[in-house]
Amino acid sequence: MMVKNPGWPVRAAYGVAGIVVFVLLWKAAGVFRWVNPGTLPDPFALPDALAQEWTSGRLLPAVGSSLIHYFWGLALGTVSGIAVGLAAATIRRFDLFQAYLARVLRPIPPLAWVVFAIAWFKVSHAGAAFVIAIGVFWVNYFATYSAVRNIDPRFYELARSFGQGSYWRRAVSITLPAIAPGTLAGVRTGIGQAWMTLIAAELLGVPGMGQEMNAAAGVGAYEAVVVYMLAISLVYAICDLGYAWLEKRVLSWRP
Amino acid sequence: MAAVIEFDRFSYTHPGAPGPVIQDLSLDIAKGEFLAVVGGSGVGKSTLLRTAAGLIAPSAGQMHFRLPQRAGRRRRAVVFQDGRLLPWRTVAGNVAYGLETLDIDAGEKRGRVDEALRMTGLAEFADRWPHQLSGGQAQRVGIARALAVKPDILLMDEPFSAVDALTRRHLQAELMRIWQATHAAIMFVTHDIDEAVFLADRVVVLGGRPANVAENLVIDLPRPRDRGHADFGRYVAHLSAQLGVD
Repeated sequence: MMVKNPGWPVRAAYGVAGIVVFVLLWKAAGVFRWVNPGTLPDPFALPDALAQEWTSGRLLPAVGSSLIHYFWGLALGTVSGIAVGLAAATIRRFDLFQAYLARVLRPIPPLAWVVFAIAWFKVSHAGAAFVIAIGVFWVNYFATYSAVRNIDPRFYELARSFGQGSYWRRAVSITLPAIAPGTLAGVRTGIGQAWMTLIAAELLGVPGMGQEMNAAAGVGAYEAVVVYMLAISLVYAICDLGYAWLEKRVLSWRP
Repeated sequence: MAAVIEFDRFSYTHPGAPGPVIQDLSLDIAKGEFLAVVGGSGVGKSTLLRTAAGLIAPSAGQMHFRLPQRAGRRRRAVVFQDGRLLPWRTVAGNVAYGLETLDIDAGEKRGRVDEALRMTGLAEFADRWPHQLSGGQAQRVGIARALAVKPDILLMDEPFSAVDALTRRHLQAELMRIWQATHAAIMFVTHDIDEAVFLADRVVVLGGRPANVAENLVIDLPRPRDRGHADFGRYVAHLSAQLGVD
């Protein structure tokens, strides 16, 4: 039976129960040797591992380094993706000009660019940001492009009837507000996509949480790997929550 | 009497259509006049209104404005059938939409918005979002938006056809009051004969293929008009016969 609109205590109780059961199963898997011994970290050893990563001064710099890649890559990819998507959807000649190019470039996974990122930027923040920006660019490009294409043309008729018919007037008074829901949903997808790409890019050698995970795994410190996994989850959750709050405020006009 | 708009042997052919939908139509709308345009669906009522609105251009012939352009005003303003409010603007923001490109100062703009909201009975709804309005309220916002630019002529495209019968009666009575207060001319497209006779100084029936003015009938009844009056019924019956409805 489905519980209808439970209050927060009920939701919290179920949510905590889910995590507790998961941790117990995890612990049981180690105790009863459901997997090869030595390959499964002990969940109860995580606090110690966290303390060790913290005091050794590895955790925070790794988080900081990842966030630098993240924000630059995200910002670059988002702004350029929206700008190009908007231009392609509103300027006919530019749309024709970029159509085949987009078809050729779009299917290349962002991680395939790591080779060039390292060749051009060496192992640097810029290289990681570049790889992230590529993935984010496409997400925002398509979200914005299709949002513009879905605008009700009758709004443009209204703009013309009330003296707002020039390209810029239309863009500001109709196009931008009309695409806001679609574009902002794209930005949110990009926030997730950037995070996935980021860790993958760092696993390939750029300094940050991904690289620390790799290093810890190399010496069999699986508890430390899990600490970084959870740190990734936490930072992402904070970013997403913050963005969801912002999005809701910007789109307060929606029912 | 001076004309606001003049159609002079106006013809329009839809892009790609074999022949014109309207041919050689000549029609004047006088200053302050309430003109209703009726006719069957597809006869070209909306084409006429969209031409007056400047949304389409005549294929042949001309459409002129006879009054000089006045500063801080628009010659025409459209009230759309679907209300067509911008969902991301509040009621007041929607009403201000046509003012944003007029050369008037901010205080004047605020004053115009307030006045238009008051005239349409929307003063207390200024900060609402469109999705919070009923169909009748949304139509009123559309009317307020058009009034705010102080047009010489209001172009209304079946503005009350999407609201329920009772709201429609209210809106018709209100439009009468607003029209008498503003002295703007109105071109009112409708398929409702009763509505046309209740509101208009003159009813033009479009008919034929291609369409032209099939009937040009002055409604000589005092206002406010009484739907129960025998003459009211005679006008409705005459126009119904003209349109081939009983």
